[in-house]
Amino acid sequence: MLKGIHQQLDPHESPAFFIQGPRPFSRLMFFCALSLVMMAIDARFDYLSQVRQWFSAALHPLEIVASAPNEWGRNINTYFTSHNQLIQENFKLKQQGLIDNAALQRLATVDAENVHLRTLLSGDAPIIPKATLGEVMHMGRDPFSNIITLNRGSRHDITPGQAVVDEQGVVGQITRVYPFTSEVTLITDKKLSIPIQIERNQLRAIAFGEGKRNTLDIPYLPTSVDIKVGDKLVTSGIDGVYPAGLAVAVVTQIKQSQDSPFAKIVSRPIAGVNNHKHVLILKIPESPAINPVTDNKPVLPRNNAQHLDQSVVDVLQKNNAAVDPHPVTELPSLDSTDTDPAAVNAITPPASTQTNNGSTNTATPNSTSPPNSQAPTAPERP
Amino acid sequence: MKPVKFSTFFFTLLVGLVFQLYPWSNSGVIIRPDFLLVIALYWLLQAPYHCNIGWVWFAGLLVDLATGSLLGQHALTFSITAFLGLIYQRRLVLFNRWQLHLYLIFLFGMQRILIMLLKLFAGSEMPDWTYGLPIISDLILWQIMIVWFGELSRPKKL
Repeated sequence: MLKGIHQQLDPHESPAFFIQGPRPFSRLMFFCALSLVMMAIDARFDYLSQVRQWFSAALHPLEIVASAPNEWGRNINTYFTSHNQLIQENFKLKQQGLIDNAALQRLATVDAENVHLRTLLSGDAPIIPKATLGEVMHMGRDPFSNIITLNRGSRHDITPGQAVVDEQGVVGQITRVYPFTSEVTLITDKKLSIPIQIERNQLRAIAFGEGKRNTLDIPYLPTSVDIKVGDKLVTSGIDGVYPAGLAVAVVTQIKQSQDSPFAKIVSRPIAGVNNHKHVLILKIPESPAINPVTDNKPVLPRNNAQHLDQSVVDVLQKNNAAVDPHPVTELPSLDSTDTDPAAVNAITPPASTQTNNGSTNTATPNSTSPPNSQAPTAPERP
Repeated sequence: MKPVKFSTFFFTLLVGLVFQLYPWSNSGVIIRPDFLLVIALYWLLQAPYHCNIGWVWFAGLLVDLATGSLLGQHALTFSITAFLGLIYQRRLVLFNRWQLHLYLIFLFGMQRILIMLLKLFAGSEMPDWTYGLPIISDLILWQIMIVWFGELSRPKKL
Protein backbone atom coordinates (compact mmCIF):
# COMPACT_ATOMS: atom_id res chain seq x y z
CA MET A 1 0.00 0.00 0.00
CA LEU A 2 1.31 3.36 -0.94
CA LYS A 3 0.92 6.25 1.46
CA GLY A 4 0.84 9.85 0.45
CA ILE A 5 3.18 12.47 1.78
CA HIS A 6 0.36 14.19 3.67
CA GLN A 7 -0.19 11.08 5.77
CA GLN A 8 1.69 10.41 8.98
CA LEU A 9 4.38 7.82 8.28
CA ASP A 10 5.79 5.47 10.89
CA PRO A 11 9.56 5.80 10.99
CA HIS A 12 10.18 2.28 9.71
CA GLU A 13 7.73 2.75 6.87
CA SER A 14 9.10 5.98 5.54
CA PRO A 15 11.23 5.75 2.38
CA ALA A 16 14.85 5.00 3.09
CA PHE A 17 16.15 8.40 2.09
CA PHE A 18 14.25 10.20 4.87
CA ILE A 19 15.14 8.20 7.90
CA GLN A 20 18.51 9.47 8.84
CA GLY A 21 18.03 13.03 9.98
CA PRO A 22 21.35 14.84 9.55
CA ARG A 23 23.71 13.29 7.02
CA PRO A 24 25.82 10.49 8.54
CA PHE A 25 29.01 12.27 7.58
CA SER A 26 28.14 15.46 9.44
CA ARG A 27 27.10 13.40 12.43
CA LEU A 28 30.40 11.54 12.27
CA MET A 29 32.35 14.78 12.09
CA PHE A 30 30.47 16.16 15.08
CA PHE A 31 31.02 13.11 17.25
CA CYS A 32 34.65 12.70 16.16
CA ALA A 33 35.33 16.30 17.14
CA LEU A 34 33.51 15.78 20.42
CA SER A 35 35.50 12.69 21.33
CA LEU A 36 38.80 14.28 20.29
CA VAL A 37 38.06 17.26 22.50
CA MET A 38 37.12 14.94 25.35
CA MET A 39 40.33 12.96 24.95
CA ALA A 40 42.38 16.13 24.99
CA ILE A 41 40.59 17.45 28.06
CA ASP A 42 40.82 14.12 29.83
CA ALA A 43 44.52 13.76 29.11
CA ARG A 44 45.59 17.31 29.92
CA PHE A 45 43.14 18.72 32.44
CA ASP A 46 41.28 17.51 35.44
CA TYR A 47 37.75 18.66 34.52
CA LEU A 48 36.39 15.31 33.47
CA SER A 49 37.32 13.37 36.59
CA GLN A 50 34.15 14.56 38.28
CA VAL A 51 32.07 13.40 35.31
CA ARG A 52 33.81 10.06 35.51
CA GLN A 53 32.95 9.85 39.20
CA TRP A 54 29.26 10.49 38.60
CA PHE A 55 29.04 8.02 35.76
CA SER A 56 30.83 5.38 37.72
CA ALA A 57 28.52 5.91 40.68
CA ALA A 58 25.56 5.54 38.29
CA LEU A 59 27.05 2.37 36.81
CA HIS A 60 27.65 0.85 40.23
CA PRO A 61 24.27 -0.94 40.49
CA LEU A 62 24.86 -2.49 37.06
CA GLU A 63 28.31 -3.53 38.16
CA ILE A 64 26.84 -5.29 41.17
CA VAL A 65 24.34 -7.07 38.91
CA ALA A 66 27.14 -8.07 36.56
CA SER A 67 29.34 -9.52 39.26
CA ALA A 68 26.46 -11.32 41.02
CA PRO A 69 26.92 -14.68 39.21
CA ASN A 70 30.57 -14.73 40.24
CA GLU A 71 29.62 -13.95 43.84
CA TRP A 72 27.06 -16.76 43.90
CA GLY A 73 29.52 -19.19 42.42
CA ARG A 74 32.03 -18.36 45.11
CA ASN A 75 29.44 -18.57 47.89
CA ILE A 76 28.27 -21.99 46.71
CA ASN A 77 31.86 -23.11 46.55
CA THR A 78 32.45 -21.93 50.12
CA TYR A 79 29.29 -23.63 51.32
CA PHE A 80 30.35 -27.00 49.99
CA THR A 81 33.89 -26.90 51.37
CA SER A 82 34.30 -30.27 52.96
CA HIS A 83 34.71 -30.86 56.65
CA ASN A 84 38.01 -32.59 56.09
CA GLN A 85 39.40 -29.66 54.20
CA LEU A 86 38.42 -27.28 57.01
CA ILE A 87 40.13 -29.42 59.62
CA GLN A 88 43.28 -29.56 57.54
CA GLU A 89 43.25 -25.81 57.03
CA ASN A 90 42.65 -25.21 60.72
CA PHE A 91 45.60 -27.39 61.59
CA LYS A 92 47.81 -25.58 59.11
CA LEU A 93 46.75 -22.19 60.42
CA LYS A 94 47.45 -23.22 64.00
CA GLN A 95 50.94 -24.31 63.03
CA GLN A 96 51.52 -21.09 61.17
CA GLY A 97 50.25 -19.16 64.20
CA LEU A 98 52.75 -20.93 66.40
CA ILE A 99 55.64 -20.10 64.10
CA ASP A 100 54.50 -16.50 63.75
CA ASN A 101 54.14 -16.07 67.50
CA ALA A 102 57.68 -17.24 68.06
CA ALA A 103 58.89 -14.73 65.49
CA LEU A 104 56.79 -11.99 67.06
CA GLN A 105 58.42 -12.48 70.44
CA ARG A 106 61.74 -11.62 68.88
CA LEU A 107 60.12 -8.71 67.06
CA ALA A 108 59.04 -7.10 70.34
CA THR A 109 62.60 -7.08 71.62
CA VAL A 110 63.99 -5.81 68.34
CA ASP A 111 61.29 -3.15 68.20
CA ALA A 112 62.15 -1.87 71.67
CA GLU A 113 65.81 -1.84 70.77
CA ASN A 114 65.05 0.01 67.55
CA VAL A 115 63.04 2.68 69.35
CA HIS A 116 65.82 3.07 71.87
CA LEU A 117 68.46 3.47 69.18
CA ARG A 118 66.33 5.94 67.27
CA THR A 119 65.90 8.12 70.34
CA LEU A 120 69.66 7.97 70.86
CA LEU A 121 70.20 9.25 67.33
CA SER A 122 67.24 11.66 67.72
CA GLY A 123 65.47 10.17 64.72
CA ASP A 124 61.72 9.97 64.30
CA ALA A 125 59.71 7.10 65.66
CA PRO A 126 59.07 4.47 63.01
CA ILE A 127 55.81 4.93 61.21
CA ILE A 128 53.47 1.97 61.36
CA PRO A 129 50.91 2.57 58.63
CA LYS A 130 47.23 1.87 59.04
CA ALA A 131 45.63 -0.31 56.45
CA THR A 132 42.25 -1.07 54.93
CA LEU A 133 41.34 -4.51 53.67
CA GLY A 134 40.26 -4.52 50.05
CA GLU A 135 38.89 -7.21 47.81
CA VAL A 136 39.95 -7.63 44.19
CA MET A 137 36.86 -7.25 42.03
CA HIS A 138 38.34 -7.88 38.62
CA MET A 139 41.60 -7.79 36.76
CA GLY A 140 40.79 -4.84 34.55
CA ARG A 141 38.68 -4.79 31.41
CA ASP A 142 41.28 -3.17 29.23
CA PRO A 143 43.80 -5.58 27.70
CA PHE A 144 46.27 -2.69 27.36
CA SER A 145 46.75 -1.76 31.00
CA ASN A 146 47.96 -3.58 34.10
CA ILE A 147 45.18 -2.55 36.42
CA ILE A 148 43.15 -4.33 39.04
CA THR A 149 39.98 -2.96 40.58
CA LEU A 150 39.29 -3.09 44.30
CA ASN A 151 35.96 -2.81 46.08
CA ARG A 152 37.04 0.15 48.21
CA GLY A 153 36.64 3.75 47.05
CA SER A 154 36.43 7.33 48.20
CA ARG A 155 33.52 6.36 50.47
CA HIS A 156 36.02 4.30 52.43
CA ASP A 157 38.58 7.14 52.59
CA ILE A 158 40.81 5.78 49.87
CA THR A 159 42.91 8.40 48.11
CA PRO A 160 45.06 8.16 44.99
CA GLY A 161 48.68 7.35 45.74
CA GLN A 162 48.13 4.81 48.50
CA ALA A 163 50.24 1.69 48.38
CA VAL A 164 48.60 -1.71 47.99
CA VAL A 165 50.24 -4.83 49.41
CA ASP A 166 49.36 -8.47 49.90
CA GLU A 167 50.85 -10.80 52.47
CA GLN A 168 53.92 -11.40 50.33
CA GLY A 169 54.82 -7.97 49.06
CA VAL A 170 53.91 -4.82 47.19
CA VAL A 171 51.17 -5.14 44.58
CA GLY A 172 50.94 -1.57 43.31
CA GLN A 173 49.57 1.85 43.91
CA ILE A 174 46.07 3.33 43.82
CA THR A 175 45.85 5.57 40.78
CA ARG A 176 42.18 6.37 40.38
CA VAL A 177 39.43 6.44 42.96
CA TYR A 178 35.71 6.11 42.33
CA PRO A 179 33.01 6.40 44.98
CA PHE A 180 32.78 2.65 45.55
CA THR A 181 35.76 1.22 43.75
CA SER A 182 39.36 2.12 43.05
CA GLU A 183 41.92 1.22 40.42
CA VAL A 184 45.33 -0.14 41.34
CA THR A 185 48.18 0.17 38.87
CA LEU A 186 50.44 -2.83 39.32
CA ILE A 187 54.16 -2.37 39.92
CA THR A 188 54.77 -4.14 36.60
CA ASP A 189 53.03 -1.31 34.72
CA LYS A 190 55.27 0.79 32.54
CA LYS A 191 54.10 4.02 34.16
CA LEU A 192 54.96 3.02 37.69
CA SER A 193 58.34 3.13 39.38
CA ILE A 194 59.13 2.19 42.93
CA PRO A 195 62.11 3.11 45.12
CA ILE A 196 63.81 -0.05 46.27
CA GLN A 197 66.75 -1.28 48.26
CA ILE A 198 68.64 -4.52 47.96
CA GLU A 199 67.97 -6.28 51.22
CA ARG A 200 71.43 -7.81 51.42
CA ASN A 201 73.57 -4.67 51.13
CA GLN A 202 71.05 -1.80 51.36
CA LEU A 203 71.98 -0.51 47.92
CA ARG A 204 69.31 1.92 46.80
CA ALA A 205 67.80 2.10 43.33
CA ILE A 206 64.54 2.64 41.52
CA ALA A 207 62.69 -0.19 39.81
CA PHE A 208 60.53 0.41 36.76
CA GLY A 209 57.72 -1.80 35.50
CA GLU A 210 58.18 -3.49 32.15
CA GLY A 211 54.55 -3.93 31.15
CA LYS A 212 53.34 -7.14 29.57
CA ARG A 213 56.37 -9.20 30.54
CA ASN A 214 55.41 -8.99 34.24
CA THR A 215 58.92 -8.10 35.33
CA LEU A 216 60.68 -5.12 36.84
CA ASP A 217 63.71 -3.41 35.40
CA ILE A 218 66.41 -1.65 37.43
CA PRO A 219 68.19 0.68 35.02
CA TYR A 220 71.13 3.01 35.66
CA LEU A 221 73.13 0.66 37.83
CA PRO A 222 76.74 0.25 36.67
CA THR A 223 78.00 -3.15 35.54
CA SER A 224 80.27 -3.37 38.58
CA VAL A 225 77.39 -3.06 41.02
CA ASP A 226 77.16 -5.56 43.84
CA ILE A 227 74.00 -7.43 42.93
CA LYS A 228 73.37 -11.15 42.44
CA VAL A 229 70.66 -13.32 41.02
CA GLY A 230 68.35 -14.17 43.91
CA ASP A 231 68.80 -10.88 45.73
CA LYS A 232 65.60 -9.69 47.37
CA LEU A 233 64.50 -6.15 46.67
CA VAL A 234 62.55 -4.32 49.38
CA THR A 235 61.04 -0.86 49.45
CA SER A 236 63.46 1.77 50.69
CA GLY A 237 60.76 4.09 51.98
CA ILE A 238 62.32 7.29 50.72
CA ASP A 239 59.24 8.33 48.77
CA GLY A 240 56.94 8.42 51.77
CA VAL A 241 54.35 6.30 49.97
CA TYR A 242 55.59 2.79 50.53
CA PRO A 243 56.70 2.03 54.08
CA ALA A 244 60.29 0.80 54.22
CA GLY A 245 61.02 -2.91 54.15
CA LEU A 246 58.18 -4.37 52.08
CA ALA A 247 59.23 -7.10 49.71
CA VAL A 248 59.00 -6.09 46.06
CA ALA A 249 60.85 -8.47 43.79
CA VAL A 250 63.58 -11.06 43.39
CA VAL A 251 66.40 -10.54 40.91
CA THR A 252 66.17 -13.22 38.23
CA GLN A 253 68.59 -12.15 35.56
CA ILE A 254 71.61 -9.87 35.20
CA LYS A 255 72.94 -9.11 31.74
CA GLN A 256 76.17 -7.21 31.29
CA SER A 257 76.98 -6.06 27.81
CA GLN A 258 80.23 -4.59 26.54
CA ASP A 259 78.73 -1.59 24.85
CA SER A 260 76.63 -0.36 27.77
CA PRO A 261 77.97 1.13 31.00
CA PHE A 262 74.84 -0.08 32.78
CA ALA A 263 73.82 -3.58 33.72
CA LYS A 264 70.47 -4.89 32.59
CA ILE A 265 68.84 -6.24 35.73
CA VAL A 266 65.53 -8.07 35.49
CA SER A 267 63.54 -9.04 38.53
CA ARG A 268 60.28 -10.82 39.15
CA PRO A 269 57.67 -9.38 41.53
CA ILE A 270 57.10 -11.37 44.71
CA ALA A 271 53.48 -10.50 45.38
CA GLY A 272 51.13 -12.86 43.56
CA VAL A 273 48.56 -10.50 42.16
CA ASN A 274 46.70 -13.10 40.18
CA ASN A 275 46.32 -15.51 43.06
CA HIS A 276 44.86 -13.41 45.82
CA LYS A 277 41.42 -12.22 46.59
CA HIS A 278 42.27 -9.82 49.40
CA VAL A 279 44.86 -7.06 49.57
CA LEU A 280 45.78 -4.37 52.08
CA ILE A 281 45.54 -0.68 51.19
CA LEU A 282 48.06 1.22 53.30
CA LYS A 283 47.38 4.74 54.49
CA ILE A 284 49.88 7.35 53.37
CA PRO A 285 51.81 8.23 56.54
CA GLU A 286 51.03 11.68 57.91
CA SER A 287 53.94 13.99 57.34
CA PRO A 288 55.50 14.84 60.67
CA ALA A 289 55.61 18.54 61.50
CA ILE A 290 59.01 19.52 60.22
CA ASN A 291 60.64 22.56 61.79
CA PRO A 292 58.36 25.57 61.62
CA VAL A 293 61.41 27.78 61.06
CA THR A 294 62.13 26.34 57.63
CA ASP A 295 59.04 27.59 55.89
CA ASN A 296 60.68 28.56 52.65
CA LYS A 297 62.55 25.30 52.32
CA PRO A 298 61.16 22.62 50.03
CA VAL A 299 59.57 19.87 52.05
CA LEU A 300 61.70 16.75 51.87
CA PRO A 301 60.15 13.32 51.36
CA ARG A 302 58.49 12.23 54.54
CA ASN A 303 60.07 9.21 56.01
CA ASN A 304 61.29 7.93 59.29
CA ALA A 305 64.65 6.94 57.88
CA GLN A 306 65.08 10.20 56.05
CA HIS A 307 66.44 12.35 58.89
CA LEU A 308 69.03 9.83 59.78
CA ASP A 309 70.12 9.29 56.21
CA GLN A 310 70.23 12.97 55.52
CA SER A 311 72.64 13.79 58.28
CA VAL A 312 74.78 10.87 57.25
CA VAL A 313 74.75 11.88 53.61
CA ASP A 314 75.55 15.42 54.65
CA VAL A 315 78.67 14.36 56.47
CA LEU A 316 79.57 12.04 53.64
CA GLN A 317 79.26 14.79 51.13
CA LYS A 318 81.62 16.97 53.08
CA ASN A 319 84.16 14.19 53.38
CA ASN A 320 83.93 13.01 49.83
CA ALA A 321 83.88 16.39 48.16
CA ALA A 322 87.60 16.14 47.42
CA VAL A 323 87.68 12.43 46.58
CA ASP A 324 84.44 11.83 44.77
CA PRO A 325 84.24 12.93 41.15
CA HIS A 326 80.48 12.41 41.12
CA PRO A 327 78.98 14.18 44.13
CA VAL A 328 75.59 13.07 45.33
CA THR A 329 73.13 14.86 43.12
CA GLU A 330 69.89 13.16 44.03
CA LEU A 331 69.32 15.36 47.09
CA PRO A 332 69.72 18.90 45.82
CA SER A 333 68.47 20.64 48.95
CA LEU A 334 71.08 19.14 51.19
CA ASP A 335 73.53 22.02 51.01
CA SER A 336 71.18 24.33 52.82
CA THR A 337 70.76 21.97 55.76
CA ASP A 338 74.04 23.23 57.19
CA THR A 339 72.34 26.34 58.42
CA ASP A 340 69.42 24.41 59.81
CA PRO A 341 69.92 24.01 63.58
CA ALA A 342 67.77 20.87 63.77
CA ALA A 343 69.76 19.10 61.11
CA VAL A 344 73.00 19.97 62.84
CA ASN A 345 71.60 18.68 66.11
CA ALA A 346 70.70 15.46 64.39
CA ILE A 347 74.35 14.75 63.72
CA THR A 348 75.35 13.54 67.10
CA PRO A 349 79.09 13.18 67.63
CA PRO A 350 79.12 9.35 67.79
CA ALA A 351 77.09 9.12 64.61
CA SER A 352 79.38 11.41 62.68
CA THR A 353 82.51 9.61 63.73
CA GLN A 354 80.93 6.34 62.75
CA THR A 355 80.05 7.61 59.35
CA ASN A 356 83.51 9.03 58.95
CA ASN A 357 84.96 5.59 59.41
CA GLY A 358 82.34 4.02 57.26
CA SER A 359 82.77 6.38 54.39
CA THR A 360 86.53 6.13 54.27
CA ASN A 361 86.25 2.37 54.41
CA THR A 362 83.88 2.15 51.54
CA ALA A 363 85.08 4.99 49.39
CA THR A 364 88.80 4.43 49.17
CA PRO A 365 89.24 0.77 48.25
CA ASN A 366 86.29 0.57 45.91
CA SER A 367 86.06 3.77 43.94
CA THR A 368 83.83 2.29 41.24
CA SER A 369 80.81 1.84 43.47
CA PRO A 370 78.24 4.58 42.90
CA PRO A 371 78.15 7.42 45.42
CA ASN A 372 74.58 6.80 46.46
CA SER A 373 75.35 3.26 47.51
CA GLN A 374 77.57 4.53 50.28
CA ALA A 375 74.90 6.46 52.04
CA PRO A 376 72.79 3.62 53.34
CA THR A 377 75.68 1.30 54.05
CA ALA A 378 77.61 3.81 56.12
CA PRO A 379 75.70 3.75 59.41
CA GLU A 380 75.65 -0.05 59.41
CA ARG A 381 79.41 -0.37 59.79
CA PRO A 382 80.76 0.56 63.20
CA MET B 1 8.87 -7.58 9.49
CA LYS B 2 7.49 -5.86 12.53
CA PRO B 3 9.16 -2.64 13.58
CA VAL B 4 11.50 -2.90 16.52
CA LYS B 5 10.35 -1.20 19.68
CA PHE B 6 12.59 1.42 21.18
CA SER B 7 12.44 -0.41 24.51
CA THR B 8 13.86 -3.57 22.89
CA PHE B 9 16.76 -1.57 21.51
CA PHE B 10 17.41 0.12 24.82
CA PHE B 11 17.11 -3.07 26.85
CA THR B 12 19.59 -4.98 24.67
CA LEU B 13 22.09 -2.16 25.04
CA LEU B 14 21.64 -2.34 28.81
CA VAL B 15 22.20 -6.11 28.79
CA GLY B 16 25.29 -5.57 26.66
CA LEU B 17 26.58 -3.09 29.21
CA VAL B 18 26.04 -5.58 32.03
CA PHE B 19 28.01 -8.19 30.10
CA GLN B 20 30.72 -5.62 29.49
CA LEU B 21 30.87 -4.94 33.23
CA TYR B 22 31.08 -8.63 34.11
CA PRO B 23 34.36 -9.24 35.98
CA TRP B 24 36.20 -11.04 33.20
CA SER B 25 39.28 -12.90 34.25
CA ASN B 26 42.56 -12.61 32.40
CA SER B 27 41.84 -15.33 29.87
CA GLY B 28 38.29 -14.06 29.53
CA VAL B 29 39.47 -10.64 28.41
CA ILE B 30 41.34 -12.28 25.52
CA ILE B 31 38.18 -13.74 23.96
CA ARG B 32 35.62 -11.24 25.26
CA PRO B 33 33.62 -9.75 22.39
CA ASP B 34 32.86 -6.04 22.27
CA PHE B 35 29.27 -6.50 23.43
CA LEU B 36 28.20 -2.92 23.09
CA LEU B 37 29.81 -2.49 19.66
CA VAL B 38 28.13 -5.58 18.18
CA ILE B 39 24.73 -4.78 19.67
CA ALA B 40 24.80 -1.12 18.70
CA LEU B 41 26.03 -1.96 15.19
CA TYR B 42 23.27 -4.54 14.77
CA TRP B 43 20.61 -2.03 15.65
CA LEU B 44 22.26 0.59 13.49
CA LEU B 45 21.82 -1.63 10.47
CA GLN B 46 18.53 -3.24 11.52
CA ALA B 47 16.70 -0.24 12.93
CA PRO B 48 18.33 2.98 11.77
CA TYR B 49 15.24 4.88 12.92
CA HIS B 50 16.19 4.15 16.56
CA CYS B 51 19.93 3.83 16.56
CA ASN B 52 22.13 6.45 14.95
CA ILE B 53 25.80 7.31 15.18
CA GLY B 54 25.11 9.26 18.34
CA TRP B 55 23.90 6.14 20.14
CA VAL B 56 26.92 4.13 19.02
CA TRP B 57 29.13 6.96 20.17
CA PHE B 58 27.40 6.89 23.55
CA ALA B 59 27.93 3.12 23.76
CA GLY B 60 31.62 3.75 23.14
CA LEU B 61 31.64 6.31 25.91
CA LEU B 62 30.17 3.73 28.28
CA VAL B 63 32.94 1.32 27.32
CA ASP B 64 35.47 4.06 28.06
CA LEU B 65 34.01 4.56 31.50
CA ALA B 66 33.87 0.82 32.15
CA THR B 67 37.47 0.20 31.16
CA GLY B 68 38.79 3.37 32.76
CA SER B 69 40.63 4.34 29.59
CA LEU B 70 41.00 7.85 28.21
CA LEU B 71 37.49 9.30 27.89
CA GLY B 72 36.54 9.36 24.21
CA GLN B 73 38.87 6.68 22.81
CA HIS B 74 36.30 3.96 22.32
CA ALA B 75 33.65 6.56 21.52
CA LEU B 76 35.75 7.83 18.62
CA THR B 77 36.46 4.39 17.18
CA PHE B 78 32.86 3.25 17.65
CA SER B 79 31.49 6.26 15.79
CA ILE B 80 33.94 5.80 12.90
CA THR B 81 32.98 2.11 12.69
CA ALA B 82 29.32 3.06 12.80
CA PHE B 83 29.83 5.53 9.96
CA LEU B 84 31.56 2.89 7.83
CA GLY B 85 28.62 0.58 8.48
CA LEU B 86 25.98 3.19 7.91
CA ILE B 87 27.17 4.44 4.52
CA TYR B 88 26.70 0.89 3.17
CA GLN B 89 23.52 0.21 5.14
CA ARG B 90 21.26 -0.05 2.04
CA ARG B 91 23.66 -2.49 0.40
CA LEU B 92 24.46 -4.46 3.55
CA VAL B 93 20.86 -5.50 4.11
CA LEU B 94 20.82 -6.87 0.54
CA PHE B 95 24.11 -8.77 0.90
CA ASN B 96 24.08 -12.51 1.36
CA ARG B 97 25.50 -13.99 4.51
CA TRP B 98 29.11 -14.36 3.40
CA GLN B 99 29.38 -10.90 1.94
CA LEU B 100 27.89 -9.48 5.10
CA HIS B 101 30.28 -11.40 7.33
CA LEU B 102 33.29 -10.27 5.34
CA TYR B 103 32.22 -6.71 5.76
CA LEU B 104 31.58 -7.25 9.49
CA ILE B 105 35.08 -8.69 9.93
CA PHE B 106 36.37 -5.55 8.25
CA LEU B 107 34.33 -3.35 10.59
CA PHE B 108 35.30 -5.13 13.81
CA GLY B 109 38.93 -5.35 12.72
CA MET B 110 38.88 -1.68 11.86
CA GLN B 111 37.66 -0.78 15.33
CA ARG B 112 40.34 -2.87 17.01
CA ILE B 113 43.09 -1.39 14.83
CA LEU B 114 41.91 2.14 15.57
CA ILE B 115 41.89 1.49 19.31
CA MET B 116 45.32 -0.05 19.05
CA LEU B 117 46.65 3.00 17.21
CA LEU B 118 45.20 5.34 19.82
CA LYS B 119 46.72 3.27 22.61
CA LEU B 120 50.07 3.11 20.85
CA PHE B 121 50.07 6.90 20.56
CA ALA B 122 49.52 7.03 24.32
CA GLY B 123 52.60 4.87 24.83
CA SER B 124 51.18 1.38 25.30
CA GLU B 125 52.94 -1.68 24.00
CA MET B 126 52.12 -3.61 20.88
CA PRO B 127 49.67 -6.40 21.78
CA ASP B 128 50.32 -9.94 20.56
CA TRP B 129 48.25 -11.93 18.05
CA THR B 130 45.54 -12.84 20.55
CA TYR B 131 44.41 -9.25 20.23
CA GLY B 132 42.54 -10.25 17.06
CA LEU B 133 40.63 -13.15 18.65
CA PRO B 134 37.65 -11.08 19.85
CA ILE B 135 36.70 -10.52 16.20
CA ILE B 136 35.65 -14.18 16.07
CA SER B 137 33.63 -13.91 19.26
CA ASP B 138 32.12 -10.69 17.85
CA LEU B 139 30.86 -12.70 14.88
CA ILE B 140 29.45 -15.38 17.20
CA LEU B 141 27.64 -12.68 19.15
CA TRP B 142 26.31 -11.32 15.86
CA GLN B 143 24.86 -14.76 15.12
CA ILE B 144 23.15 -14.75 18.52
CA MET B 145 21.67 -11.36 17.75
CA ILE B 146 20.39 -12.68 14.41
CA VAL B 147 18.81 -15.70 16.08
CA TRP B 148 17.01 -13.50 18.58
CA PHE B 149 16.06 -10.49 16.55
CA GLY B 150 16.09 -11.79 12.97
CA GLU B 151 18.17 -11.28 9.89
CA LEU B 152 18.74 -7.74 8.72
CA SER B 153 15.41 -6.67 7.28
CA ARG B 154 15.31 -5.77 3.63
CA PRO B 155 13.41 -2.64 2.73
CA LYS B 156 9.78 -3.18 1.80
CA LYS B 157 8.91 -2.98 -1.82
CA LEU B 158 6.76 0.09 -2.18
